[in-house]
Amino acid sequence: MTAVQKRVLVNKIILALSTLSAVVAIAFLFWILGVLVMKGVGALNWNIFIYEGAPPGYAESGLKHALVGQAILVGLATVIGVPLGILAGTYLSEYGKNSKLAHLIRDISDIMMSAPSIVIGAFVYAVVVMPMGHFSAWAGSIALAIIMIPIILRTTDDMLQLVPGTLREAAFALGAPKYKVIMDVVYRGAKAGILTGVLLGIARVGGETAPLLFTSFNDNFFTTNLNDAMPSLTVTMFNYAISPYADWQQLGWAAAFILSMFILGLNIVGRLILYFGKGK
Amino acid sequence: MASIIDIKDECALQVRDFEFTYKGADAPSLKKVTMPIAKNSITALIGPSGCGKTTLLRAFNRMHDLYPGNAYKGEIEFEGRNILDPKEDLIHLRTKIGMIFQKPTAFPMSIFDNVAYGMRLQGIKNKTELNDRVEKALKDAAIWKEVSDRLKNDANGLSGGQQQRLCIARAIAVEPEVLLFDEPTSALDPISTQGIEKLVIELKEKVSIIIVTHNMQQAARVSDYTGFMYLGELIELGHTEELFVTPKEKLTQEYITGKFG
Repeated sequence: MTAVQKRVLVNKIILALSTLSAVVAIAFLFWILGVLVMKGVGALNWNIFIYEGAPPGYAESGLKHALVGQAILVGLATVIGVPLGILAGTYLSEYGKNSKLAHLIRDISDIMMSAPSIVIGAFVYAVVVMPMGHFSAWAGSIALAIIMIPIILRTTDDMLQLVPGTLREAAFALGAPKYKVIMDVVYRGAKAGILTGVLLGIARVGGETAPLLFTSFNDNFFTTNLNDAMPSLTVTMFNYAISPYADWQQLGWAAAFILSMFILGLNIVGRLILYFGKGK
Repeated sequence: MASIIDIKDECALQVRDFEFTYKGADAPSLKKVTMPIAKNSITALIGPSGCGKTTLLRAFNRMHDLYPGNAYKGEIEFEGRNILDPKEDLIHLRTKIGMIFQKPTAFPMSIFDNVAYGMRLQGIKNKTELNDRVEKALKDAAIWKEVSDRLKNDANGLSGGQQQRLCIARAIAVEPEVLLFDEPTSALDPISTQGIEKLVIELKEKVSIIIVTHNMQQAARVSDYTGFMYLGELIELGHTEELFVTPKEKLTQEYITGKFG
């Protein structure tokens, strides 16, 4: 075998190995999705959207309570987290820039992004649930918002920095005050990126279970009271999945399927916005 | 050693003993620059890269203030006051002294909104007035015919040359006294360049123009006065034809004949 033949052979082996690894990696995703679709679609029916939780054995049981609860928890977290995240990202990109404080905030935010979510749940338990004396939707949403903020903060910071400095200068050169430059020119230039960050942030917290366990806790019944424990798809899924009852397990599959599709959808939409927003 | 022409006509700006030091720099980037800028005429600034011509240009609308730590010394007189005064109202100043950048800076909004931006900042809300003034600005910037049927379209869909004329329309819409051009054609093709040059010459009826350019031919084609800068100093300022044909300074002579630069 000549040296060239040997190199070609090594090349082929490496190519085959890396392709195989990529296939294995992505295979798990499709495996998970496949199982979810098979079990989840089978468990879907209209009752799920009409009825709330019921003891095992009742035909009229559904997930209405968890679906609405999930929407409230994530919606409230979005209302709290998005403005804070975007404003903090704006500070970093437009005001803090390369100052020590800005770098410190960026570093801390990166650390927060990788913090175990259950730790954030425990923290909210200590500072919100304990003083209030009971679980609440507020506590759950605050925990989710804390997880969401560093994601939105960082994407906002990154996306605003992509807006060319000359565009800012051009607005200043027309006599625009700084807040106008940011709102009219910088935000507009980065809106696709910021929106993507928001969607990815929502998708990230939408699948969280641990921080809800001891903040919003769970409930098997429909409620919209923010000062009460609130059901969520994730915790409901957890409870139903580990139960010994076949009908509860079915509901668990349905919850898993609905939640996964929601998060998958958000991720896809987020990426599409970024893709088409940049193309403009 | 500098040879500065005495301008008999009215001046739009008077630079006196102007020094500028960037943040953290040991030495000033501009040294004792004294320069009159004639009214309703075009003054070109030429010189090799790093000579300070853009730095000087960006002092006229206090653009350097966007980045903290830069220091001005001396005086730039405009409308009877020193605009380097720390109390100068920069928002007002920048509506009087507009700027066109090297790369077109169309905002991510419609063509109409781009041109109306400066006027809206000044609080003009009246629809008819906005419409009229946007149309006039676009006509003055010689781009009305190309965009009149698509004012609602995204400005980023225009070509580079069109975007640059749009930026000029946006700048003149607020009716400034002075327009600063920072190498406005260096990112454009020859035909667009020709269009911009023609426009610049037309504009001097209404505004005083200072243009920084790398291109000596461009300075010769468009300007009435030319200033040659070198290493942060204004070496010579004169009538353009005189400066290019019979320069008074040896350095100017060497630069325009291509001995360095």
